[in-house]
Amino acid sequence: MTERNQFDRLDAVIDAILDGRVMPIVDGDLAALALVAADLRDLPDPQFRDRLRRELLKENDMTTTMTATVQHMIPCYLIEGAAGMIEFLEKTFDAEVLQSHASPEGKVMYAEVKVGDSTIELGDANEQWTAKAAPLHVYIPDVDAVYARALAAGATSIYEPMQQPYGDREAGVTDPFGIEWYLATRLEGGPRPPGFGTVTAGFRTAGAPKLLEFLVDAFGAVEVDRTSGPSGEIRHAEIRLGATMIELSEAHGQWGPTKGAYHVIVDDCDAMYERALRAGATSVAPPETKPYGERSAAVDDPFGNQWYIAMKIA
Amino acid sequence: MEADEKALVEAAQQDPARFAAIYDAHFARIYAFIARRVRDRAAAEDLTAEVFRHALAGIRQFEWRGVPFAAWLYRIAANEIADHMKRRAREQTEIQAEEPTGGELEIVEHRAALHRLVDRLPADQRRVIVMRFAEERSTREIATEIGRSEGAVKQLQWRALQTLRAQMGRPA
Repeated sequence: MTERNQFDRLDAVIDAILDGRVMPIVDGDLAALALVAADLRDLPDPQFRDRLRRELLKENDMTTTMTATVQHMIPCYLIEGAAGMIEFLEKTFDAEVLQSHASPEGKVMYAEVKVGDSTIELGDANEQWTAKAAPLHVYIPDVDAVYARALAAGATSIYEPMQQPYGDREAGVTDPFGIEWYLATRLEGGPRPPGFGTVTAGFRTAGAPKLLEFLVDAFGAVEVDRTSGPSGEIRHAEIRLGATMIELSEAHGQWGPTKGAYHVIVDDCDAMYERALRAGATSVAPPETKPYGERSAAVDDPFGNQWYIAMKIA
Repeated sequence: MEADEKALVEAAQQDPARFAAIYDAHFARIYAFIARRVRDRAAAEDLTAEVFRHALAGIRQFEWRGVPFAAWLYRIAANEIADHMKRRAREQTEIQAEEPTGGELEIVEHRAALHRLVDRLPADQRRVIVMRFAEERSTREIATEIGRSEGAVKQLQWRALQTLRAQMGRPA
């Protein structure tokens, strides 16, 4: 029997199961899958499950969930070839690998890398956790030198170092993994703008005010500064998530929307998870206590970003 | 495991905001039990909602007596099912509320475990399985909706069932 033939036969069996008809089974492999299909006949509609959950929580009016707060946020890079990105970070920024765990197949399951005073998490993308690559903004003492090192390490130029009206000398590169890096040296007013670490995660999305609203509702984000464009769109906004500054802008022209993954460290994982769901996030994984000293959950926001909500536990 | 469950229930008793964790842990089994008994999706959804509303309202009154918390929820569900059957029966008949035991409990727990695994499938497989089974759509309808060929949808469906079968550890 050809593969295609098998797919068709299974489909006919499923039709019969859903209609409540009896279907004779001959083939062993097909029979086993038909048993699984029969057990899926009563699969609950996830939309019903999520709606009921929201209703129960609303009826309960859980004011307590609003008290959960974000402590800080770490950008996570799930990409194809995380080991290569670590090498790129070492070559370009003298990054220090704090920890790195490989799977038996040699994939990077989880790595933590320090760039200046900031941490970045990395791992190889897989079927469950798909590739995401949001832009980053880095303050370094010598943008020209770092720009040259980035190109030598395999990056391509977006634009060469140039003076920007906001008092930075800045360059843009795309690393070999498709991540945009905006490299900057502050020419005035100290090494970095107030509140910024070495590395700042950037969000670019269509409908930036909606994303901002989500960040405020879900994580208690605070808008610190905003520059608007001619039609009122967000050109650039600085937003604080706990102790971490992030940047947000409206996608436009060649600067298309980006999607990222973020690890938010909170004081109450369950409450923050609830809060995020009520703000419009969808659940990826409900809160669970992990063996590595964390209670964590995962949600998707409506803009394609993924958030790992985690609380350290003793 | 039992200590974990006890902690969850006690947290919800002190602060009903924590009920969500109980809902997440038990939704699949309660729905699977009700759906098996009533064989009607809309009724199964209504009754499941009633069970969790009752449980939420009564969580503070729940007392640990050495039986799993699920048994308490199954008891509420069995009562809801019996009430539903009575409402539907044309004649006055005696309908007992019976909790799942033995073989039925095994089937229900098995299905609930399977349904939870659907959430962990790769996104494209999960979408096909949810549309096919929960929404009862044909592979042709799914293909149109997600912009793939019918063959591709059937292949995803095959792969998804194979993954689920492997994860459930069913003998071949």
